[in-house]
Amino acid sequence: MAVYKHSYSAYSGRVTSAGTRLLVLSRYAFDEAWSSKISIGLLVFCLLPCLASLVGIYLANNPLARALVGSKGSQFLAIDASFFLKILEGQCWLALVLAAWIAPRVITFDLADNALPILLSHPISRFGYVFGKFAALFASLSFVTWIPCLLLFVYEGYTSSTPWIAANLRIAVGMLGGSVIWITLLAFLGLALSSWVKWRVVATGVIFAAVFIPAGIGGIVTAVLRTQWGFLINLPFMITNLWIRLLGAPGPVNPRWTLPTSAIVIMLILACLACVAMLNKRIRAREVVRG
Amino acid sequence: MGVISLDGLEVRLANRTILNGLTGELQGKAIGLLGPNGAGKSTLINTLLGFHAPSKGTARVFGLDSYRDRGRIREGVGYMPENDSFIGNMSGVRFVRYMAELAGLPPGIALERAHEALFYVGLGEARYRKVSTYSLGMKQLVKLAQALAHGPKLLILDEPSNGLDPMARTRMIQLIKDIRNEGSIRLLISTHLLRDIDETCDEVLILKGGRIAALCNIEEERRSNRSFMELETVGATERFSVSIRGLGCECASYPGGRIKLILPDNIEARDLYVIASEQGVQIRRMNQRRDSLEDIFLRAMDNDMERMGNGRLQAQL
Repeated sequence: MAVYKHSYSAYSGRVTSAGTRLLVLSRYAFDEAWSSKISIGLLVFCLLPCLASLVGIYLANNPLARALVGSKGSQFLAIDASFFLKILEGQCWLALVLAAWIAPRVITFDLADNALPILLSHPISRFGYVFGKFAALFASLSFVTWIPCLLLFVYEGYTSSTPWIAANLRIAVGMLGGSVIWITLLAFLGLALSSWVKWRVVATGVIFAAVFIPAGIGGIVTAVLRTQWGFLINLPFMITNLWIRLLGAPGPVNPRWTLPTSAIVIMLILACLACVAMLNKRIRAREVVRG
Repeated sequence: MGVISLDGLEVRLANRTILNGLTGELQGKAIGLLGPNGAGKSTLINTLLGFHAPSKGTARVFGLDSYRDRGRIREGVGYMPENDSFIGNMSGVRFVRYMAELAGLPPGIALERAHEALFYVGLGEARYRKVSTYSLGMKQLVKLAQALAHGPKLLILDEPSNGLDPMARTRMIQLIKDIRNEGSIRLLISTHLLRDIDETCDEVLILKGGRIAALCNIEEERRSNRSFMELETVGATERFSVSIRGLGCECASYPGGRIKLILPDNIEARDLYVIASEQGVQIRRMNQRRDSLEDIFLRAMDNDMERMGNGRLQAQL
């Protein structure tokens, strides 16, 4: 083919590998997610707490600042597992806001105009399609979760007068593990719910609802039946418990307000599997009408 | 090796048999897939693309199993679906480039060919507009452009002229003819419009109720019927009939000087004029009738009805 000739010609050049084609999906999904100014605005907003924490770490390691605050402020300026837990919690909940905005952008454009028959007629599988979109969402959420958290950890290690990093390596591993678990769940949840809702604004609302409505119901069950098992559908409670354990931070005073780690892990896996089942049902080139 | 080989292909969806024992070899440069609504045309296309697994038998595209080797088949296939299928938020050129990259073209070449494909189908001036702003005809063309951009070996067009106005339809048919004549692409065109197939295809597979009602080479079929002729004459019609029988024609006379005849291969129409002139007979009208695709289609439908009727009769006996 040539633009000026307006004629057709076959292509006989080199073709890319199967792995590269998955990255094509990720690249286009990533572009779509960040093509909106609101996405950029949200990213900046999500990084503001990190900036505040950065200042906090600087002050905590600055002798002049410590002398000014005095002995009363030593607790306030303590850089330990609790400090990083607060950062992780803040960033991860901001990641939910970001996921609720960008997950629908990643997938609903394809579904709204019925692009799946064309997309899946190319040499990519349904798994490849979901993996490509998942990778784009995971990478986007990483910018506001484990990447800034670990950078703050490294900065603390750099500014601390004592050998801090080696002694607190568990915090770094905990933040990385906690963030990865959370953004994996968010990516699955965002993709699954967005794939079932064509309107992006509605999809954003549904993502928030899927997190907080079961949490409210779980709270009611816990209060009425006086059992901690109601927390099993309370995602914020479960994930906060998991972060506390991963970072080795002090837990809640009341032992009734805890769940076994195994129960939390099983519930999170079940939530991910439910999302995969929803995607499996929805991401198809052709719908088979039963009846 | 044929383009598409079907060997006892059966496809069941939702506990219903949609395709039932399809067997045949499709070898044409442009293959038409005809049939009434619900005949199984789209299901056959979806099976060839590997979207549905055969419950029995096999379907092969260029010798590759349609389900097991679906990845390799899709590398060499361009698919234009029947319904709206695009990403409305993207510009035409970005959409076509995206599809070309998914088919395996490197990004730079994909962009180059996206521009070329859009110019080729006639969307050059509209290529930077969002696809959602395109008219129905333009959406059909952008689907064709994305199917062509990566240079497929087989182009599958599902109802390509669906919803197009006469001018847009003519343009689409001309594009399909151009692609066929270029020679590097085999075409599979599914439609229920006989005229589209008649104008573009050299082989036709007619489906009815999930079965093959007919599979034939259109050109050969036409050749075998090309000498069917109707005449209206004035004068000594009977004597004229006897004379043309003497040439070896099968001939039947009707009141009003009407004659129907089948010319053998070695007899031309001008031979009839010579005899008519010798005998003083006027030939007022001569209609050399080609067997149209419509005849082939209707015959296939009738045969299918007869077969079903015979089957029922045998069952009753």
